[in-house]
Formats: sequence, structure tokens, C-alpha cells
Amino acid sequence: MGRIDARRYLRRWESLLVLFLLVVLAYNITQVSNFLTAQNQANLFQLSIEKAIVALIMTFVIISGEIDLSVASMMALSAAVVARLNESRMEHVLAIVVALAVGLGLGALNGFFVANVGINSLAVTLAGYIGYRGLAQVFIEDNSVGGFPGWFTRLGQKGIIGPITFSIILFFIMAAVAGVILHYSGFGRRVYTVGSNARVAIFSGVPVARTRIIIFATSGLVSAIAGILYAARLGAVRSSTAQGFELDIITIVLLGGVSIFGGVGSMVGVLLSIFLVLNLRNGMTIAGITGNTQTGVIGLLLILSVLIPNLVSRAQGRFRRTPVEPQFQAPRPETVQSAG
Amino acid sequence: MTDRLLRHIRPEQFRELILLVVTIGALLFFWTQIPNYFDPRSINRLTVGLAIPLVVAIGQMMVVLTRNIDLSVSSTVGLTAYVVGTFLTRNEVSPWVAAVMAMLLGCALGAINGLLVAYGGVPAIITTLGTLAIYRVVLVEISGAKTVTTGDLPGWIGSLPSKTLVTVRDYDLRLMVAIALIVTIAGYLVLRFLPFGRRLYAIGSNPDAARMAGLPARRDVFCAFVICGGLAGLAGFMYLVRFGNITVTAAQGLELQVVAAVVVGGASILGGQGTIFGVLLGVMLIEILQQSLLRWSGLSEFVKDAILGLLILIAITVDAVVLGRLREAWVNTRRRDRAAARLVMEGGADGAD
Amino acid sequence: MADLAPDIAPARMNGSDESSVVPVLEMRGISKRFGATQALSDVSLQLSRGEVHALLGENGAGKSTLIKIMTGIESPDTGEILLDGQEIHLASSQDAQRYGIAAMYQEPMIFPDLSVAENIFIGHRNRGKFVDRRRMESEARDVLSRLGVEIEVDEPARGLTLAEQQTVEIAKAISLDTRVLIMDEPTASLSAHEVRRLFQIIENLRSEGVAVLFISHRMDEVFEISDKVTILRDGQWISTRPRTELTPRMAIRDMVGRQVVEIFHRERKPPGDVRLAVEGLSKTGAFEDISFEIRAGEVLGFAGLVGARRTDVGLALFGIAPADRGTVTLDGQPANVSSPRQALERGIAYSTEDRRQLGLIMGQSISNNIVLPSLQRFLDKFGLVKRDEERTVAETYRMLLKIRAASVDVPTGALSGGNQQKVVISKWLETRPKVLILDEPTRGIDVGAKVEVHQLIDELAGQGMAILLISSDLPEVLAMSDRILIMREGHQMAILDHTEATQEKVLSLAMGQASELDDVDARAALRAVDGLIDAGSSAGD
Repeated sequence: MGRIDARRYLRRWESLLVLFLLVVLAYNITQVSNFLTAQNQANLFQLSIEKAIVALIMTFVIISGEIDLSVASMMALSAAVVARLNESRMEHVLAIVVALAVGLGLGALNGFFVANVGINSLAVTLAGYIGYRGLAQVFIEDNSVGGFPGWFTRLGQKGIIGPITFSIILFFIMAAVAGVILHYSGFGRRVYTVGSNARVAIFSGVPVARTRIIIFATSGLVSAIAGILYAARLGAVRSSTAQGFELDIITIVLLGGVSIFGGVGSMVGVLLSIFLVLNLRNGMTIAGITGNTQTGVIGLLLILSVLIPNLVSRAQGRFRRTPVEPQFQAPRPETVQSAG
Repeated sequence: MTDRLLRHIRPEQFRELILLVVTIGALLFFWTQIPNYFDPRSINRLTVGLAIPLVVAIGQMMVVLTRNIDLSVSSTVGLTAYVVGTFLTRNEVSPWVAAVMAMLLGCALGAINGLLVAYGGVPAIITTLGTLAIYRVVLVEISGAKTVTTGDLPGWIGSLPSKTLVTVRDYDLRLMVAIALIVTIAGYLVLRFLPFGRRLYAIGSNPDAARMAGLPARRDVFCAFVICGGLAGLAGFMYLVRFGNITVTAAQGLELQVVAAVVVGGASILGGQGTIFGVLLGVMLIEILQQSLLRWSGLSEFVKDAILGLLILIAITVDAVVLGRLREAWVNTRRRDRAAARLVMEGGADGAD
Repeated sequence: MADLAPDIAPARMNGSDESSVVPVLEMRGISKRFGATQALSDVSLQLSRGEVHALLGENGAGKSTLIKIMTGIESPDTGEILLDGQEIHLASSQDAQRYGIAAMYQEPMIFPDLSVAENIFIGHRNRGKFVDRRRMESEARDVLSRLGVEIEVDEPARGLTLAEQQTVEIAKAISLDTRVLIMDEPTASLSAHEVRRLFQIIENLRSEGVAVLFISHRMDEVFEISDKVTILRDGQWISTRPRTELTPRMAIRDMVGRQVVEIFHRERKPPGDVRLAVEGLSKTGAFEDISFEIRAGEVLGFAGLVGARRTDVGLALFGIAPADRGTVTLDGQPANVSSPRQALERGIAYSTEDRRQLGLIMGQSISNNIVLPSLQRFLDKFGLVKRDEERTVAETYRMLLKIRAASVDVPTGALSGGNQQKVVISKWLETRPKVLILDEPTRGIDVGAKVEVHQLIDELAGQGMAILLISSDLPEVLAMSDRILIMREGHQMAILDHTEATQEKVLSLAMGQASELDDVDARAALRAVDGLIDAGSSAGD
């Protein structure tokens, strides 16, 4: 994937996604008569809404050239915090605020280690991946903790506008905001810059460390929001809540055309990818494939979403046979030609 | 002070020394806190607990050396344990054949990872995050949610775990532990004396240079994944022998403990650095803390993962901050020394740089 | 050249006397195309035993493609490669290694975690099934002593200096029985002393019969070390001559394709008030006690050899690697900065030499790159980028600086070196700096673009900007600067006014005093420089 024609590449990738999405939709429609009803689509969305929400921020993380493996653990931890505090009769709204603060704080902690201590984000968030869920276990052990106030579970389960739930509304608002920030704001520009070439960014006076911390802290906050919504939807929390979600989330983002090496990707691609993965899961459910197996298919999809572009570009002969210098073949200076 | 120290000891050695001191310190601390801490039963439990993570960690380390990672090991362990277990309920074979079967199956799973990473160009984290799920799904699918139970397995399975090779004053050397030790020693020999082992360091140390030097980098990375899978397969056999009952969630989460042990043991996640001795210490320290903290403080077993996460964070931070500084100081000291030596050699005409 | 090749060479292989006549390596009629660009067309080259053969050419002349073909990284579209007169096919770098062809690059390809001895022997096949450390280390010691260097072979290579790492690479090549060693800009980052040592090693290689292909941009080095010089231009072979029959002037003519190198002629105007004042600036291990001032409208040249630490001073002023001691004032205000952000806020901008790594985001558009450091000014009250304004500004620079691109949406990676440099300068100009530090602004760009950059520098100074010009191109420094500060190995040697500065004066200060000039072949260096002066005399002062 040459960075050079990133835009053209993305456009091609996005059309591929649309095509794939149509195929999946077509299959689903032929199998289920009332598939395209608002009710059904809303239900479909509702089933994976938390992953979709976290995928939005994961897009920022990966475009900035990093990775956050700890999102699902932060979801579990914030849900566990809400559950634990609820159990000890804390005012529920306050409990939610505390859980959000925990998410923000741990995300910022990840960011601090990545941006200021200078440790590879894979290592840092691997520690978080283990440790944050470990903290969730400390809080609620192997119990299933529920007993939330009625308004909270209703918020998670009941539709506000017809079948459309609070979570879905929130997702669309967040998606719009994320798209605008990523593509139209100065901050979004910095995210791409940091992910493309952090050294150039530093030389250009871009606050690289601050940008990274903001991204990771937001990742923690958004994960906490998703975790709390998940708790509201399920009505109970276990320490294994949201286990393995990072796989789906990262898959969605990469499948959306975001480069694992940073600097390339679009929100449109990720949104398409979200619809695709949701409908694919739905299609698999229709076809009688169980949840566990679906996860395996998602894993396969994750690998293929990186493997196929690699193989295609190699087939096109554009792959560097020996990646000696990570450079593209720049056209030669035009004046040299004229001099000859 | 640091200067003089650094003339005699390299930062990496210093790191292992610290780890050794911490491990011994932990042992001594728990000895003062927990009655009968060094009695045979408790030591035997510790060594047996070490065996499986150690075998997997040796393979993991070879992958990590090449600047890659294999998160799928726990699913490999679970899948091989289940498949071999199921096979044993229907067929009568010797333990050796069963162990070899498990290793071959593990190698095959590792080869899939290796193909994708080395020849497919898919980053290891992506590949193995995917196969972590896929191998587990394969297990779920083929098992139909049935479990392998000890009762269905041949009789020798029941007697193997307690099979003891040597006993010195009630301290046993169990077969399982012996296997782990043999793997460890073999790993040491491979990494130190085989050109292949040295190439693993080279590839992780500078992948571009490895390709330029004409090293068979792809093949070596592929082989590292195959070895890692093979050892995970062996660990799967050990898992089967040790626990007997294999469910679809067998060994889930083991990858975390193993990666933690490798990182705590001083292998750099960026490749090129790490020793077998360090990994051994890493596995030991984590096992000691996990087993002993529970016994000592009466903490529930639920703090296990939190501690693991914290340990990794401490280890990588120490590496980044302390070791980075030490290394810089070491480089400067060495350069200064050589410049001084040259100055003497060349009669003082040439000491400016 | 191809005509001269002995076609009957293989038949004469048996005659022992003749073996020195047959070149070790011959490239015959090599052509290579990348997409729309013809990187090489019908290039031939012969390397003989014990010969140091220099390869000269401007950036984009096809040198690196030729090297890649010689080392098996790329395969030629047409043409053949002959080793001892026998045609060979190089499918990979392993193949090249097997035939005894090795290359070393400006950045040594070292394994920092392996020992020196392992670095030397890691690529060896057929060294037995096991690693015999003791034998390996003693052999490593032997190889290194053959090169006349002493390095502890059992220590990790991360402790080596760049020059030592290069030595290890050469040792690796020798231990592989390398017969052809390609050195791509090996001296680019070495200090004068280290270059001396490298040249001694090359002498040793020559006497051992190794054929060395030496690529350098420094004319003085080429003339000192080489036996033969081949010049490429636009992917075509231009000439191959024995060094003794070549003058630097001829070489430059062949490289650029015309007789005279245009150097911009700058009218000096009386400068204004002091803009930047630097007093006693020091950084341990880099530079000591640097003091100077630049007035508004003045260009202060920074001259010196590589390793003089000029860039370190620039980096300190820009806050990338702040100084330990000393004061910096800008328009009378303290300006000791500790980050680029602070520097930019105060009006100090620094254009780096390394466009690819530090200057531009190659995958992003011209306009994105231009507004990057001043992005804050292009945001509305919601923090959104004002795209129209951004485009207008970028378009303005494209017109003003004559950036040749279809639009400002073109990714900078698709531009030529000269146009990339113009984008870099635009990006810093848009920060509206009071002081502009230009580090090698014309390195690696073609002659036409170079003149345009010089014009631009003159205009900026005319507008009252203070410019610090770091350049290894001596004629450029002399032609553009009002005053010239000369550095040598971290020390400030002198500040000369342009009226008193000459090439000889600057160079002797930069290179140190007679004792050192003795062991350099000073005349070769000076002759090369004289050639440059001749070439640029019509426009110089």
C-alpha cells in the first residue's frame, strides 16, 4: 500500500466494501422477509452497538500509528465499577460519573506511557488488556452483579424513538462528531500527521505527545461509555464482560481501510465496515452459525483484510521485492530530463 | 560509579541480575511470611505449576526475538489438548506417540501463523489475534461443546503427572518438570550455538540489515512460529496429562501469562533482545507471585490478572527508562574508553573525535 | 564503453597473465525502467582488480539503480552482468554475495544486539553446524587487524561509533571473500579523521586486490582516492576516465551537462538591527562556546566539514536538542527555547536537510504540508480547518516559488527534490519567521532549482529576515553570505566577512592547521575546490 496514492486506494477499498455490503444485504433479504424493516435493523444495530461506538475512537488510535488492545478491558472495568458502586448503594448517576472518570484516567495512563515514557503502545496496552480486566475481577470477582435501577436498564434496552435506543442515537451523534473531527478539524489533521510521520510532526511544532495522550484518554473515556451502555443493555455485569471485543473492534477498523501502519484511513470506510460486519454477523445468525463461530469468521476477516491488499499489490508488481528502503519510487526531477 | 560498574557489566546482564535478586528476594520474603514455605509439597506445587507456562514461553520468546508476537498459543494449547485427548479416548497409543502427535499438530497451527506473517506480510499481532479466535472456534466446533474427561482416557494419563524421576529428601523432580527443563536447555543451546538461533537475534535487531545481509529472514521467522506452535502443542499434551478434563475453554488466558513472563524476563517486544535465563526467571517470578500472594495475604485469586498487568507495566517501564539510560551510559563509556586507547596508540595526535 | 569490452574474454581465462586484463565485474548495456521513468539506459561499467573506481552523478542520475542491479536487489530489463568474463544472473542479494559482490551504505547495516564478531560472520554460510564463538572471535580479530583497526569483538555492536560500524561492515565484506565492494557515500557522516582512517582501509583493500566502487558527492575525496571515474547523467553513461586525465571542472561539466555552474550573484545591502544574538552557546559532546549575531536582512553562512557540528547548533536554536549553556536573544528578548513549538512562537524556523525523514509528510498534499507548522492560524473558532484559506495560501506559494505540480493537492512524495525543497521552505515561510535557519537547502536538487532557491534567499533577506545558512557547498556559502562562521569539530574557528572570505581561507580554517593538512592530501582537496571556483567564477565574487 503506497502511501502515495492513499486516497485513491481508499476510494477503491470503500467501493469494494459497498459491493460486499450489498452482497451480504442481498443474502439476508432473500433469507428473511422483513429484513430491511426499521425494527430489524435497529435490533441488529443494538446487538453490537458498543463495539461500533468503540470502533469510532479506535479509528483515531490506529490512524495515529498506535494500537489500543485494552479497550475491551476498560469496558469491563467501567461496567464493573458501576455495578460495584451500585451494589454499595451509591447514587447511580454518581457511579456512572466515577466509572467514566476511571475510563478517562486509565486511557490517559496508557497515553502517558506511550507518549511521555516512550513505550510501544502494543506493550503498554497489552499490560492494560490484562491488568484492567484484572481490576474488574478484583471488584466483582466471579459474580454476576446486577440490580440496576429501572431507568438505567430501560435506557439500555428500550427504544426512545420507535425501536431506536439511546445507544443508537448516541452512536450516530458520536459518528458524526468523530467524522467531522477526523476530516475537518485541526486535531484530525494532527492525528494523520502523527501517524504518517511523527518526526516531521515534531519538527513542525505539532504537540505530538499531547495529541497521543488525548487520543488514548478519549479511547478510555469512549470505552467506559460503551462499557456502561453494555451493562445497561445486559442488566448485569461479570468480569468477563466484553471479553474479546477488541478483536471485533480492531477488525472493523482495519476492514474499513485504515492502515495498521498509521496515517491512512477514513471515517466513511469505518462506518461502511461497521454496517458490513453487523450485517455479516446477522447473516451468519440467519444461516445458523453460532456466536462463537462468528467470532472465528471475524478473526479470519481480520487476517484477510490485511492479507488480500498485500497479495493484490504484490500481484500488481508494485510490491517491493526486497523492502530495502521503505521508500516509494519518486519520479525523477524533471529538470534533469530537460538538461539531458 | 556507574562508569566503573559499566566497564564490567553490560546493561542486559545488569537487568538479569536485578530480576534474579527480585526473584530470590520474593522467595525469601514469602519464606519469612508463610509457614513451611520451602517444604516439599509447596515447592513441588511451584515447579509443577511452572512447567506448562515455561514450555510455551520458550517458544514465545523465539517469536518475540524476531520482533513478532504469538497471541494464539493458548488456543493452540487448548486445541491440541482436546484433539489428542479425544484421540486417546478412542485409540490405544503410547505416551510418546501422543506427545509427538500433539507437537505435530502444534507445528501445523504454528505454520499457519508463520505463513501469514513471514510470507503473507500480515503483522503478527493481527495474525495471531485472529488465529487466537479461529483456533478456539475450531475447538468449539469439533468438540460440539463436549468435554474430554479423565475417566475416558487411558490409565497411563492418570499416573504420568505424579511420575517422578528423582527424589531428593522429598523434593521431587516430576516428569513434567523434567520435560520443561529439557525444553529450556534445548532452547538455550539453539539460541546460543546454532546459526539459526543467532539469526533470530539478528532479524529482530535490525530487520532491514538482515535482509540486506542475505539472511533467510522469512524462512527463519516462519520456523520461529513453527517452533512456538510445536512447543505449545507439547504444552497441550502436558495440559491434557496434568488436568485430564479438557473443556472448550482449556488454557484460555495462558497467552497473557506467557507474554508477561517473556516481557518481564527481559525480552524486548521490539525484538533482538532476551535470554532463556531471563525467560526462566520471568516465568518463575510470575508463578511465585501468583501462588504465594494468594497464600500470604489471603487475597482472592481474582487479583491474579491485575498483578500480571502491573508486572508487565513495571517491566517495560524499567526497560524503557532505566535500561535505556544505562545502555546510553554504557555506549558512552565504551566509546570514551576506546577514544582514550586510540589517543595513547596514536601518540596523542588523533584524540579529537 | 561496451565496445571496449573484450568479447573473447572467457576464452582467455586460462592465461594467468591475462586475468588482470579481464575485469572482475562488468556491467554491459544495462537498462532499467520504473513505470514511466527510464532509470538507466544502456549503461556499461568495468571494475578491475585492485581498482578504486568512483561513480559520479547528480541525484537521479541512476547511481542507486545501478548499485541495486549490481547487488541483485533489482534485475535489469536488458543488458548483462559478467564476472571474470562469465555472464552471471543475480536474482537476490544472496546471489550477489555468493559471487563476492557486497555493498555498504551511508547508514551501516549493523545488528546492534549482536557482538562485533557475530556482525561480521552472521551472513556466512558453510561455517559449520554450530557457532564456535572462540574461533569466530579470533577470526574477527584477524580480519579487523588486516584493516588496521582494533575493536573489541565480543561486545555488542551498539557501542560502536558510525565510523567503527562501517569498519565492521567492511570487515564483513572482506571475510566473505568479497571481490567487489560498493561503497555508497561512506564518508557522508564521518569526521575528517574518520575519513582519513577509512581511506587507509580502502588503500589496504586495494592492495589486497579488491575492486572498490566508490560513490561520493565530495569531489576532493573522489580525486584523492580513485583510480578511475565514471560519470552518469540522466540514467546514461557519459564518460569513464582515469583520474589523472580528469579535472574537477570536466567532472562537473559531465555531471550537469554544461560548462558553467550558475551561482546566483547576490547584491549585499547594509543590514538592519541585530535580530538574533547568540552568546557562549555550548552543548556537552556537541559544540562549545558558539557566539554570533545576525542582523535583519543578513545572511550568516555556517561553513565547515561534515562532523563540524553545524547542524547541532541549528537544532539547539530550534529547540530540538537544546543547548546546556549560553544565551540566545531575539530582538532583545530571551529566546532559549526547549521545543520547536517555542521556537516557532518566537519566530525561529528551521528547514532540515533531511526532507524525507524530517521535512515533509510524503503521503500528504502540498497544501497540508505548507500549513502544518502554522495550522493554528488556519482554524476557525470551532477548531475546524479553513480549507479555502489554506488552499489560497498554498496556491500563492506554488506561484511565488514556482513549485512545479499540477495542483496543491498533489502529494509531496510525487515531486522532484527541488520542488520538495520549495515546499519545505514555503512551510517555514508561512510561519512568518524572523530568523530562518536553512540546513543544506540545495543538497540533492538540480541546478535550475538551486538558482531559484538562491534567489529566494536573497529576496527573504531583502525583506528583513535574518538567515542562517548551513551549507557544505562552499561556493554557495561564499556567494550567498554576508558573513561566514566557520566551525570545526564543535568549535567556532572564526567569523569572516564576505569581502575577506576566500575558499582557501574558509577551508583551511574548517580543516584545521598544517599538521593535519599534511596527512590529508591537501593539494587534492584544494585542487578540487579550485575546480569548483573556476566553474562558478563567472557568477561568484
